[in-house]
Amino acid sequence: MSSIVSIVNVVKEYQLGKVTVPALRGVSLEVGVGEFIAVAGPSGSGKTTLLNLIGCVDTATSGVVQVAGNDTSKLSESELTDLRLHVIGFIFQSFNLVSVLSVFQNVEFPLLLQRRHTAAERRQRVMELLEQVGLHTHAAHRPNELSGGQRQRVAVARALVTRPKLVLADEPTANLDSQTGATIIDLMKELNRKEGTTFIFSTHDAKVMSHANAVVKLADGVIQGREKLEPGAAA
Amino acid sequence: MSTLKLLVTIAFRNLRASFVNLLIGGIIFFGSLLVLVGGSILNSMDVAMSKSIIGSVAGHIQVYSSRSKDDLAIYGAMGGEADVEALQDFSQVRKVLEKVPNVKQVVPMGINGALIAGGNTIDLTLADLREKVNRRRSGDQSPELEKQIQSLKGHLQEIVKQLKKDRENAAAISVRVLEADVTQAMDRAATDAFWQEFDQHPLDDLELLENKIAPLSTDADLLYLRYVGTNLDDFQRTFDRMEIVDGTAVPPGHRGFLFAKQWYEAALKVKVARRLDEMKEKIDVNHQTFARSDELRQNAKDNQTQTREILYQLDGLKKAAMVADLQKGLGATESDPDKLLRMLLDTNDQNFQDRYKLFYDAVASRLQLYRVRIGDTLTIQAFTRSGYVQSVNVKVYGTYQFKGLEKAALAGDLNLMDLMSFRDLYGYLSPERMEEIKKMKAQTGAQMIDRDKAEAELFGGGDADGAGGRRVVAQATPGVIDESQELGGGAGELRRKDLTSRVYSREEVEGGVVLNAAVLLKDPSKINQTIKEIEARAKEDGVPLKAVSWQQAAGFLGQLVLFMKVVLYLAVTILFVVVLVIINNAMMMATMQRVREIGTMRAIGAQRSMVLWMVLIETVVLALVFGVAAVLVGSGIVGLLHRVGIPAVSPYLYLFFSGPRLYPDLGVGVIVAATVVVSLVSAISTLYPALTATRVSPVTAMQQDE
Repeated sequence: MSSIVSIVNVVKEYQLGKVTVPALRGVSLEVGVGEFIAVAGPSGSGKTTLLNLIGCVDTATSGVVQVAGNDTSKLSESELTDLRLHVIGFIFQSFNLVSVLSVFQNVEFPLLLQRRHTAAERRQRVMELLEQVGLHTHAAHRPNELSGGQRQRVAVARALVTRPKLVLADEPTANLDSQTGATIIDLMKELNRKEGTTFIFSTHDAKVMSHANAVVKLADGVIQGREKLEPGAAA
Repeated sequence: MSTLKLLVTIAFRNLRASFVNLLIGGIIFFGSLLVLVGGSILNSMDVAMSKSIIGSVAGHIQVYSSRSKDDLAIYGAMGGEADVEALQDFSQVRKVLEKVPNVKQVVPMGINGALIAGGNTIDLTLADLREKVNRRRSGDQSPELEKQIQSLKGHLQEIVKQLKKDRENAAAISVRVLEADVTQAMDRAATDAFWQEFDQHPLDDLELLENKIAPLSTDADLLYLRYVGTNLDDFQRTFDRMEIVDGTAVPPGHRGFLFAKQWYEAALKVKVARRLDEMKEKIDVNHQTFARSDELRQNAKDNQTQTREILYQLDGLKKAAMVADLQKGLGATESDPDKLLRMLLDTNDQNFQDRYKLFYDAVASRLQLYRVRIGDTLTIQAFTRSGYVQSVNVKVYGTYQFKGLEKAALAGDLNLMDLMSFRDLYGYLSPERMEEIKKMKAQTGAQMIDRDKAEAELFGGGDADGAGGRRVVAQATPGVIDESQELGGGAGELRRKDLTSRVYSREEVEGGVVLNAAVLLKDPSKINQTIKEIEARAKEDGVPLKAVSWQQAAGFLGQLVLFMKVVLYLAVTILFVVVLVIINNAMMMATMQRVREIGTMRAIGAQRSMVLWMVLIETVVLALVFGVAAVLVGSGIVGLLHRVGIPAVSPYLYLFFSGPRLYPDLGVGVIVAATVVVSLVSAISTLYPALTATRVSPVTAMQQDE
C-alpha cells in the first residue's frame, strides 16, 4: 500500500511572546491511500496542528512532511495553495461555508478556482455530489436556511467535489449532536469506500473513533500509539 | 470569467449583508452628491461670471502696458485702482493687434475711479432759487414765479434752521468750534428779517448762503465712481448686449457720460425710494415676507427714520400737495407731512404693494429722485497720476445696462465715458486743452489769477449751458463766478464751443493715451495661444504690451471665483480624505469580521490575488451602486434647481449668479468627475484592507470559535 502522507520526525513550535510552546515534538506517521484514519487525543494534544501540517496550511519547524509525494517545506506559498486546491479537501468543525453563497455556489467554489471545467461539467459534478449527500433539492438554499447536519453535508460535498486524493476533517462532528455526527461519519465512510478517497479526521469522541480503520493516539505532541480497528467494530 | 461573475455575486450579496456597507455607501453617496451638485453650481457660476465679464467690459483678452507696476484689474484691485502705466498711442497698439489673425475687435479703454458729489439739497435748492431770481431779474413778473420764489425762500429758511439746530447739538458733544463768521451768517439766515429783506439784494444773500452755509450741510456725500473711458461707438458695437435704459446714447464722436443703470439706482437715487425698490424685489422675486424676514422689517424701520431727505427737497407748495394726496391715499386726517410720510412707510405684508404705488404717485413724483439727472452736466474730479486734482465736465446722456446682466453687480458698476474726457481726467492734456491753457496764460499772466478762480476755471469751469442742463458741482463749491466777467474772449469761448458739442474724428480718439484695451477673438477657445501671439507681435514692433486672459484681468473678482472654487474643492478634498479614512476603517473591520471566510477560501485553494480582487471588487461595486444613485439623485436636484433657480439671497450674490437667480446646468464633465473621484477614492481606500485580507492565513479556517 503506497502512502499519501508521510511524516518523519516533525517538530512544530509556536512562539507565544517570549515563550516557545511545543505543539508537536517529533511525530512520524505514514498514511496509506484509501485509509480512513482518526486522530484522537485530548484538546491541546496537537491534533489540529498535525492536520494543519498535513493540509499544507502550515509548515513544520523541523522534520519532513510529504503529501502526495511533495515535500511541503520545499514548496512556495502559491504552490502549497495549488496543492490544497487539487489534492486536498477540507471539512471544518464549524462547517465554514460562505454565507452569502447558495449551497450550489459553495460546492462549486473549488471547481471555479481550478479553472479547468466548463459550466456544464461543473453543474453535473456539483449536482452529483449534492445527490450523494442527499441535498440536491436544497441546491438553491443559503447556508443559514439549513440545519447543522445539512451544512456539514454541504461541506463534505465541497471537500469532495474536486475528487481530492486526501480529505482532512478537523473535529467534523464536534458541533453536531451525536446522531447527526454519526450520519456524517457514515457519509464520509461511504465516500471513502466508493471513491477510494483517503480520510484523516480528528476527534475526541470515542464513538466517532470507532468508525475508523485506525486510530492514531496523540498526547502532549507525541504519538502514543497507532491502533488498528476491525471494520464495523462499533456498529 | 465565471470567477469574476462569482466575485461580483459575492460583492452584491455582501452589500446587503453588512450594515457597515450601508454606512460606507451613504458616505460615498453624500460625497458624490456634493461633487455633482456643488460642481454643477460652481461651474454654472463660472459660466455666468465669464458671461458677465467677457460680455461686459473685459472681452476675451485685455492688453496693457508691460511697464505697469501692478497687474491690470478692471473691476478694481483690493486697495483701490491698480497702478497701470499708460499706453501713449493707441493707434500703435491697434496696429499690433490687427496683425494677429484671431483678433476680431479691439476696444480702447481707460479705467479709473473718481469722486463726484451729487450736490446736496441746499445746493440744489439754492441753484433753483438763483435760477428763478435771475428769471425775475430778466423781467418775468408772473405771479406763479413769485409764488415759487417765496416757497423756495421758506424752504431754505427751514433748512437753515434745521442746520443751526444740528450744529448746536453737535457743538454740545464736540470741541470743534465754528468760525465766527459762519456762526454769524447762520444766525442771520435763520431769522425772518433776513428773508424779508432777501428780495432787495437776492444775489448777495444767495452768495452768503452758498459760501457760508451750504458747505455745512452734510447730506451730500462724496461718491466714489468707477468709469471706463472708451471709444463709445466701438464699445457699443463690440459689446452688443449693451443697451441704453434712460436717455440716449452719446452721439458718435462726442464727449459724454453714461451711468451704469445699476450704480445710478444704487448710488444716486433717493435712499427711501431705492430701499422700497429693493424691498419690492425681495418680496416679488425672492418671496420674502415681513413676517419671516428681519431684513424687511429693518428696512421699513430705516425708511421711517429717513424721511428728512424727502422733506428737505420739498418746498411749501409741493409739501401741501403731497399732504393732500397722502391723506387721501392713507385715509388719514394727519396734516404733519413728516408723520404722514412715516405712516406711509410703515409697511407690512398686507399693505406693501399699495404703499409702494402710493409712494411713487404721491411722493416720488414731486421729488428729484436722482441726485444727478439725465441731461445734467457732471463734474468729475480725480487725482491724476502726478497727484493733483483734475476735473472735467461731461454731459450725462443716459444710463445703460447689459442685457441679461441687469442685476449683476460686476457689470453694473462701471460707468462709461468718452476717451477724450478720460484723458483730461487722467492728466493727459489733449492738444486743445494745452492750447487753451496757453491762451489763458497769454491773456492774463499766470501770476495774476486769483487762486480760487483759476482752479475753477482750470478744473471745474465752463458752464456747459450749450447742453441745456444744470450743473452739479463736485466737492466744495468753489465760489460764485460770473463767467461773463472772467476771462473774456478766447479761452472760455473755446471751451464752451468745444467740450460738449465738438465732434472728434476717429484719429483723434484713437491716437492718444489709453490704459488698456479689450480684445475680442474669433475663436475664444484659443485664448492662451493668442495671448502668446499678441505678446510676440508687440515685441517685434517694439510696443510694450502685456496680454492677459479675462480671468486675470478681472483682478480680485476673477480671483474671488477662483478662491470659491478652491474652497469648494478643498472642502471636497477634505471630505474625501475623511471618506477615505472611514472606508479604510470600515473595510478593515469588515475584513476582520470575515477572516474565517477568507481563511476558508485560502485553505480550499484560493490564491492571494483572488482574495485581493474579491475585496477590491466589493468596494468598486459598492462605490458604483451608491455613486450611480448619487448621480441620479444629483441630476434630479440640479434639474430641479435649473427649473426653479437658486435665489440670490443677498445682492452680493448677483455678481456670481449673473442675476437674482442662478439656474445651474448639469455638465457631463461633472458627472464623469464625480464618478471617477468616487471610484478612485474607494479603490485607494480599500487597497490596505485588501492587502491585509491577502495576508489572512488559511490556518484561521481551522481555528474554532472561542
